[in-house]
Amino acid sequence: MSRTGFHERRRTERMRDPEFRAEYERARSEIEQIDSVVRSLDQLRENTGTSKTDLARRIGRNPSSIRRLFTARSNPELRLVVQIANDLDADIIVVPRRKKRDRRLRSDERANATAA
Amino acid sequence: MAWRIEYYEQHDGSVPATKFLDGCPAKIDAQFNAVLDAVAAAPPPRFSGGGKWEAMHGSMGGYYEIRLSGPGREQFRLFCLLENAAPTELRRRGLKAPSIVVINGMRKPHRTTFTDRDYRKHVRALGEDHLANIPRRLAQ
Repeated sequence: MSRTGFHERRRTERMRDPEFRAEYERARSEIEQIDSVVRSLDQLRENTGTSKTDLARRIGRNPSSIRRLFTARSNPELRLVVQIANDLDADIIVVPRRKKRDRRLRSDERANATAA
Repeated sequence: MAWRIEYYEQHDGSVPATKFLDGCPAKIDAQFNAVLDAVAAAPPPRFSGGGKWEAMHGSMGGYYEIRLSGPGREQFRLFCLLENAAPTELRRRGLKAPSIVVINGMRKPHRTTFTDRDYRKHVRALGEDHLANIPRRLAQ
Protein backbone atom coordinates (compact mmCIF):
# COMPACT_ATOMS: atom_id res chain seq x y z
CA MET A 1 0.00 0.00 0.00
CA SER A 2 1.17 3.51 -0.83
CA ARG A 3 2.40 5.70 2.05
CA THR A 4 0.63 8.67 0.49
CA GLY A 5 -3.10 8.84 1.05
CA PHE A 6 -5.75 8.59 -1.65
CA HIS A 7 -6.69 12.26 -1.22
CA GLU A 8 -3.11 13.50 -1.58
CA ARG A 9 -2.52 11.37 -4.67
CA ARG A 10 -5.71 12.61 -6.31
CA ARG A 11 -4.88 16.24 -5.48
CA THR A 12 -1.34 15.86 -6.85
CA GLU A 13 -2.79 14.44 -10.05
CA ARG A 14 -5.35 17.26 -10.37
CA MET A 15 -2.63 19.89 -9.76
CA ARG A 16 -1.27 19.09 -13.21
CA ASP A 17 -4.24 21.05 -14.56
CA PRO A 18 -3.17 24.75 -14.44
CA GLU A 19 -6.77 25.89 -13.93
CA PHE A 20 -7.17 23.57 -10.93
CA ARG A 21 -3.81 24.62 -9.47
CA ALA A 22 -4.47 28.36 -9.79
CA GLU A 23 -7.92 28.06 -8.21
CA TYR A 24 -6.65 25.78 -5.42
CA GLU A 25 -3.91 28.26 -4.50
CA ARG A 26 -6.31 31.22 -4.67
CA ALA A 27 -8.90 29.42 -2.52
CA ARG A 28 -6.32 28.33 0.10
CA SER A 29 -5.12 31.93 0.41
CA GLU A 30 -8.70 33.24 0.77
CA ILE A 31 -9.62 30.58 3.35
CA GLU A 32 -6.44 31.24 5.31
CA GLN A 33 -7.24 34.96 5.55
CA ILE A 34 -10.83 34.42 6.71
CA ASP A 35 -9.78 31.75 9.22
CA SER A 36 -7.01 34.00 10.50
CA VAL A 37 -9.44 36.88 11.20
CA VAL A 38 -11.91 34.69 13.10
CA ARG A 39 -9.20 32.84 15.07
CA SER A 40 -7.51 36.15 15.97
CA LEU A 41 -10.79 37.47 17.36
CA ASP A 42 -11.32 34.27 19.36
CA GLN A 43 -7.77 34.51 20.73
CA LEU A 44 -8.33 38.16 21.65
CA ARG A 45 -11.60 37.20 23.37
CA GLU A 46 -9.79 34.55 25.42
CA ASN A 47 -6.92 36.90 26.25
CA THR A 48 -9.36 39.46 27.62
CA GLY A 49 -11.15 36.80 29.70
CA THR A 50 -14.43 37.39 27.88
CA SER A 51 -16.81 34.44 27.71
CA LYS A 52 -18.77 33.83 24.52
CA THR A 53 -21.97 34.45 26.48
CA ASP A 54 -20.71 37.80 27.81
CA LEU A 55 -19.56 38.81 24.36
CA ALA A 56 -22.94 37.91 22.87
CA ARG A 57 -24.79 39.89 25.55
CA ARG A 58 -22.60 42.97 25.07
CA ILE A 59 -23.18 43.13 21.32
CA GLY A 60 -26.85 42.14 21.52
CA ARG A 61 -26.52 38.75 19.84
CA ASN A 62 -27.73 35.29 20.65
CA PRO A 63 -24.94 33.33 22.42
CA SER A 64 -25.43 30.46 19.96
CA SER A 65 -24.46 32.72 17.05
CA ILE A 66 -21.13 33.45 18.76
CA ARG A 67 -20.52 29.77 19.52
CA ARG A 68 -21.31 28.87 15.92
CA LEU A 69 -18.96 31.53 14.59
CA PHE A 70 -15.96 30.41 16.63
CA THR A 71 -16.46 26.72 15.89
CA ALA A 72 -17.00 27.00 12.13
CA ARG A 73 -20.61 25.92 12.37
CA SER A 74 -21.80 28.79 10.24
CA ASN A 75 -20.61 31.17 7.57
CA PRO A 76 -19.13 34.25 9.28
CA GLU A 77 -21.14 37.37 8.67
CA LEU A 78 -18.92 40.42 8.24
CA ARG A 79 -21.23 42.61 10.33
CA LEU A 80 -20.90 40.17 13.26
CA VAL A 81 -17.13 39.99 12.86
CA VAL A 82 -16.90 43.80 12.97
CA GLN A 83 -19.24 43.99 16.01
CA ILE A 84 -17.02 41.53 17.89
CA ALA A 85 -13.86 43.42 16.91
CA ASN A 86 -15.40 46.67 18.13
CA ASP A 87 -16.42 45.13 21.44
CA LEU A 88 -12.91 43.73 21.96
CA ASP A 89 -11.45 47.14 21.08
CA ALA A 90 -9.83 45.91 17.88
CA ASP A 91 -9.99 46.92 14.22
CA ILE A 92 -10.42 44.82 11.11
CA ILE A 93 -7.94 46.26 8.62
CA VAL A 94 -7.04 45.49 5.03
CA VAL A 95 -3.35 45.68 4.20
CA PRO A 96 -2.44 45.93 0.50
CA ARG A 97 0.19 43.39 -0.51
CA ARG A 98 3.54 45.02 -1.14
CA LYS A 99 4.16 43.32 -4.47
CA LYS A 100 0.92 44.48 -6.07
CA ARG A 101 1.23 47.97 -4.57
CA ASP A 102 4.79 48.36 -5.87
CA ARG A 103 3.75 47.11 -9.30
CA ARG A 104 0.91 49.66 -9.42
CA LEU A 105 3.25 52.49 -8.35
CA ARG A 106 5.76 51.56 -11.05
CA SER A 107 2.93 51.45 -13.59
CA ASP A 108 1.75 54.92 -12.51
CA GLU A 109 5.32 56.26 -12.76
CA ARG A 110 5.64 54.89 -16.29
CA ALA A 111 2.31 56.45 -17.25
CA ASN A 112 3.38 59.81 -15.84
CA ALA A 113 6.73 59.66 -17.68
CA THR A 114 4.96 58.88 -20.96
CA ALA A 115 2.53 61.76 -20.43
CA ALA A 116 5.39 64.16 -19.72
CA MET B 1 -2.43 17.38 14.87
CA ALA B 2 -3.68 17.46 11.28
CA TRP B 3 -6.47 15.06 10.42
CA ARG B 4 -6.50 12.69 7.48
CA ILE B 5 -8.89 12.97 4.56
CA GLU B 6 -10.47 9.68 3.51
CA TYR B 7 -13.09 8.74 0.92
CA TYR B 8 -15.92 6.28 1.54
CA GLU B 9 -15.85 3.35 -0.88
CA GLN B 10 -18.92 1.30 -1.82
CA HIS B 11 -18.98 -2.50 -1.74
CA ASP B 12 -18.44 -2.60 -5.52
CA GLY B 13 -15.26 -0.54 -5.19
CA SER B 14 -16.75 2.69 -6.55
CA VAL B 15 -16.08 5.96 -4.74
CA PRO B 16 -19.16 8.25 -4.93
CA ALA B 17 -17.34 11.41 -3.82
CA THR B 18 -14.61 11.21 -6.46
CA LYS B 19 -17.20 10.38 -9.12
CA PHE B 20 -18.99 13.59 -8.05
CA LEU B 21 -15.78 15.66 -7.92
CA ASP B 22 -14.61 14.38 -11.30
CA GLY B 23 -17.89 15.68 -12.77
CA CYS B 24 -17.51 19.16 -11.23
CA PRO B 25 -15.88 22.12 -13.02
CA ALA B 26 -12.13 22.18 -12.28
CA LYS B 27 -12.47 25.34 -10.19
CA ILE B 28 -15.15 23.79 -7.99
CA ASP B 29 -13.09 20.62 -7.53
CA ALA B 30 -10.12 22.83 -6.58
CA GLN B 31 -12.18 24.77 -4.04
CA PHE B 32 -13.50 21.58 -2.44
CA ASN B 33 -9.92 20.34 -2.11
CA ALA B 34 -8.81 23.66 -0.63
CA VAL B 35 -11.55 23.60 2.02
CA LEU B 36 -10.88 19.94 2.89
CA ASP B 37 -7.16 20.61 3.28
CA ALA B 38 -7.76 23.72 5.41
CA VAL B 39 -10.18 21.89 7.74
CA ALA B 40 -7.87 18.87 8.01
CA ALA B 41 -4.97 21.17 8.93
CA ALA B 42 -6.99 22.97 11.63
CA PRO B 43 -9.70 20.47 12.57
CA PRO B 44 -12.86 21.09 14.61
CA PRO B 45 -13.63 22.67 16.99
CA ARG B 46 -11.30 25.37 15.64
CA PHE B 47 -12.76 27.76 13.11
CA SER B 48 -11.64 26.55 9.70
CA GLY B 49 -12.65 26.34 6.06
CA GLY B 50 -13.25 30.04 5.43
CA GLY B 51 -16.94 29.78 6.28
CA LYS B 52 -17.58 27.17 3.59
CA TRP B 53 -17.47 24.25 6.03
CA GLU B 54 -20.67 23.93 8.04
CA ALA B 55 -22.29 21.51 10.45
CA MET B 56 -25.65 20.22 9.24
CA HIS B 57 -28.81 19.98 11.34
CA GLY B 58 -32.10 18.11 11.60
CA SER B 59 -32.18 14.79 9.79
CA MET B 60 -28.62 15.50 8.58
CA GLY B 61 -27.27 16.10 12.09
CA GLY B 62 -23.78 14.62 12.47
CA TYR B 63 -22.86 15.44 8.86
CA TYR B 64 -20.78 18.36 7.68
CA GLU B 65 -21.06 20.00 4.29
CA ILE B 66 -18.87 22.17 2.12
CA ARG B 67 -21.05 24.72 0.32
CA LEU B 68 -19.86 26.23 -2.95
CA SER B 69 -21.46 28.29 -5.68
CA GLY B 70 -20.40 27.72 -9.29
CA PRO B 71 -21.09 29.07 -12.78
CA GLY B 72 -24.67 30.35 -13.16
CA ARG B 73 -24.90 30.24 -9.35
CA GLU B 74 -25.26 26.47 -9.49
CA GLN B 75 -24.90 25.08 -5.98
CA PHE B 76 -22.38 22.35 -5.15
CA ARG B 77 -22.29 20.44 -1.86
CA LEU B 78 -19.83 17.89 -0.52
CA PHE B 79 -20.95 15.83 2.49
CA CYS B 80 -18.58 14.50 5.11
CA LEU B 81 -18.47 12.66 8.42
CA LEU B 82 -15.87 13.18 11.11
CA GLU B 83 -14.24 10.19 12.77
CA ASN B 84 -12.43 10.89 16.01
CA ALA B 85 -11.88 8.49 18.90
CA ALA B 86 -9.18 7.01 21.08
CA PRO B 87 -6.26 5.52 19.10
CA THR B 88 -7.34 1.93 19.83
CA GLU B 89 -10.85 2.61 18.58
CA LEU B 90 -9.53 4.36 15.46
CA ARG B 91 -7.32 1.34 14.75
CA ARG B 92 -10.33 -0.95 15.20
CA ARG B 93 -12.15 1.12 12.55
CA GLY B 94 -9.14 0.85 10.25
CA LEU B 95 -8.26 4.53 10.52
CA LYS B 96 -4.68 5.74 10.95
CA ALA B 97 -5.72 8.99 12.66
CA PRO B 98 -8.78 11.19 13.25
CA SER B 99 -10.28 11.66 9.81
CA ILE B 100 -12.64 13.64 7.64
CA VAL B 101 -14.47 11.02 5.61
CA VAL B 102 -15.89 12.33 2.35
CA ILE B 103 -19.14 10.50 1.62
CA ASN B 104 -20.68 12.02 -1.51
CA GLY B 105 -21.60 15.27 -3.25
CA MET B 106 -24.67 16.76 -4.87
CA ARG B 107 -25.39 19.77 -7.08
CA LYS B 108 -28.54 21.79 -7.72
CA PRO B 109 -29.67 24.93 -9.52
CA HIS B 110 -29.73 28.19 -7.55
CA ARG B 111 -32.82 28.71 -5.38
CA THR B 112 -33.84 25.07 -5.35
CA THR B 113 -33.61 22.67 -2.43
CA PHE B 114 -32.61 19.08 -1.93
CA THR B 115 -35.46 16.95 -0.64
CA ASP B 116 -35.06 14.72 2.39
CA ARG B 117 -35.28 11.82 -0.06
CA ASP B 118 -32.20 13.22 -1.86
CA TYR B 119 -30.30 13.40 1.40
CA ARG B 120 -31.45 9.93 2.45
CA LYS B 121 -30.62 8.24 -0.85
CA HIS B 122 -27.41 10.03 -1.78
CA VAL B 123 -25.87 10.80 1.60
CA ARG B 124 -27.36 9.12 4.68
CA ALA B 125 -27.69 5.67 3.10
CA LEU B 126 -24.00 5.82 2.14
CA GLY B 127 -22.98 7.29 5.49
CA GLU B 128 -24.83 4.53 7.33
CA ASP B 129 -23.14 1.91 5.17
CA HIS B 130 -19.78 3.53 5.95
CA LEU B 131 -20.40 3.51 9.70
CA ALA B 132 -21.65 -0.09 9.62
CA ASN B 133 -18.32 -1.36 8.29
CA ILE B 134 -15.60 -2.36 10.73
CA PRO B 135 -12.97 -1.80 9.51
CA ARG B 136 -14.17 1.07 7.36
CA ARG B 137 -14.14 0.61 3.61
CA LEU B 138 -12.00 3.47 2.30
CA ALA B 139 -10.60 4.37 -1.13
CA GLN B 140 -6.97 3.30 -1.32
